[in-house]
Amino acid sequence: MSGFFENYGFLIVTIVQQALLGLSIYFPLMAGQLSLASIGFYSLGGYVAAIMGTHPYFAPWRAALGFFMFPLEWLFALILGVVLGIAVGYPALRLRGIYLALATIAFVQVVNVAVLNMPVAGGAVGIFGIPQAFESRLDYIWFFGPLFALAMFVVYRITAIGRGLAFFAVREDELAAGAMGVRTTANKVTAFVLGCALAAVTGAMSAPFLNTWNARQGTFDASVTCLAYVLIGGSRSLWGPLFGAALLVSLPEVLRPLKDSRMILNGVVLVAVCVYLPQGLMGGLAALRTRLAAGRGGVA
Amino acid sequence: MKRLAPALALVLCAAIPALADKVATPIPIGIAVGQTSNVALFGQEQVNGAKIAEERLNAAGGVNGTKITLVFQDTAGDEAGAVNAFQNLINRDKVVAIIGPTLSQQAFAANPIAERAKTPVVGPSNTAKGVPEIGEFIGRISAPMTQVAPYSVKQAMKLNPDIKRVAVLYAQNDAFSSSETVTFQDAVKNLGLETVTVQKFQTTDNDFTTQVTAVLGAKADLVIISGLAADSGNLVKQLRQLGYKGLIVGGNGLNSPNMFPVCGALCSDILVAQAYSPATVDKNPVNKDFATAFEAAYKKGPAQFSAQAYTAVQVVTEALAKIEKETGKKIADFELAELREMLNKSLRTGSYMTPIGEISIQPSGEVEQKDFYVSKIVMNPDGKTGSFVLVSE
Repeated sequence: MSGFFENYGFLIVTIVQQALLGLSIYFPLMAGQLSLASIGFYSLGGYVAAIMGTHPYFAPWRAALGFFMFPLEWLFALILGVVLGIAVGYPALRLRGIYLALATIAFVQVVNVAVLNMPVAGGAVGIFGIPQAFESRLDYIWFFGPLFALAMFVVYRITAIGRGLAFFAVREDELAAGAMGVRTTANKVTAFVLGCALAAVTGAMSAPFLNTWNARQGTFDASVTCLAYVLIGGSRSLWGPLFGAALLVSLPEVLRPLKDSRMILNGVVLVAVCVYLPQGLMGGLAALRTRLAAGRGGVA
Repeated sequence: MKRLAPALALVLCAAIPALADKVATPIPIGIAVGQTSNVALFGQEQVNGAKIAEERLNAAGGVNGTKITLVFQDTAGDEAGAVNAFQNLINRDKVVAIIGPTLSQQAFAANPIAERAKTPVVGPSNTAKGVPEIGEFIGRISAPMTQVAPYSVKQAMKLNPDIKRVAVLYAQNDAFSSSETVTFQDAVKNLGLETVTVQKFQTTDNDFTTQVTAVLGAKADLVIISGLAADSGNLVKQLRQLGYKGLIVGGNGLNSPNMFPVCGALCSDILVAQAYSPATVDKNPVNKDFATAFEAAYKKGPAQFSAQAYTAVQVVTEALAKIEKETGKKIADFELAELREMLNKSLRTGSYMTPIGEISIQPSGEVEQKDFYVSKIVMNPDGKTGSFVLVSE
């Protein structure tokens, strides 16, 4: 059993980490906004942690704070995420549908090129030798686990209060929501910023987890992968991102014995999910439950 | 306590066999390279080279009669994939050493895992600064281009002694190219030439009009390119089409026949800095054996990544043989943890005669390679195929 965790500890934590990225896309989706900006904030959050963890300027801070340097990195990433999220969110969220998605893709590209040109970010090689919080990869669950629980709690609670209802109102019909007195822009920006902040903190936790950080973490490909977690998992369920990430992250590893052909099977599974479960895994599960209930209830 | 006892027993049972692992026969050596994703082009070349090494070295008796076997784990192109592959090789496949990963960025993520598990790593293609410094179990056989870069610029000056104004171009999103360009720029300065412009591009770019215009505007008479095959091919093509007539020096990323279909006949006369040249078969019998076997198996000449992968496997095998010779004990009689530490020390002693020439690994893990090569691209009349002709001797 210990061998299992030694071998798959990294994978288990990666699932939670990627689920957090999925959730960061789920937040704006709650208000009906398709944003791919999360990965840009994830990348920036990672750079904040990587720079604070390795740059000589912060050496006295690290010496003084010890382990508490890590929470401080998260805090800095959080502040950056919120401030930049608001700055990007207000103009970007004036756009709708595909144009918002395009603007956020552009944001990801801008971040990518910007960090490649900042000497402090280490260029294409990136930053390496980031101080470790734990020896074992599995122990990083103490970083990502509580954050995931917190994020899930926020999503769960938010759907029960007025703010969440306002999000859903905007998602279902922005014009009608506006006519009913819902402040649509404020709600869209709030949902967007929540996602940005979550992505930034996840990034700050990921830099020590991965040992290294570089511009390849924040590419367009990565943002599409995160979107896939939500779509495969189910975009209308808060458990969707977790199940989507669990499937997409673990599948290539579970299929590892198949060697080269594993990517083929990986693709087949994804296509099958898209074709047969258009509402995602959670949507499929819900449909199954209704059918079972209908079967048991007879004519009811 | 009663409930605790079985749990403790379980933990002990799980822990003890892990400590007392013996080395398996045939001796497993891990290969963790990117066989899928966007690095597969390199990864497949590495797999090909490693497979030839397994076949040739076993045919020659392996480790004093004991065969080696290569265990392949795909890293794909990302950091997480490299970590997963390393975990599998260390814990499940119980290899004596790991050869990989393909990219330097992956090395920064995965090598610390091997360092903690005290498993030696031999990097077959990591060239970024800082890789050997990750830890005492990390080494590489792929040299950073600090020596060959000035040499290739000197070759260009020999061909055209009037060179004064140099334009430097590099792929800023590629780790290898952005390290290499620093070496080139230093070389240009040290040779007393003037750098008139430094232009950046991305490996994904197709249109290089901006960069080419800047080069032409700066009236450069030498262009130095650090990039990968496809983007550099397009860049060369557009430079020539827009009227650049001077010499072109390419970095190690251009040392690939994959560039020929991209720039076609316009590839001609590029000077390329190489860490491996298939043209050395006359002087290097190890390379001759490798190149002949490679051509027989794959119907094409070996690329640098293949030669380096072969070299890595050969270095590990010879280091294992050295341990047997020094201790008088068979490898299979060692405990895995003990052997991994001894192998790490053994790797760093003595020198190796390999397809890429004579090399040794310093105690720091950095490689010392004796020979580098400068070749000129000569395209065939069909404009689609060509070859690298050695100009340095």
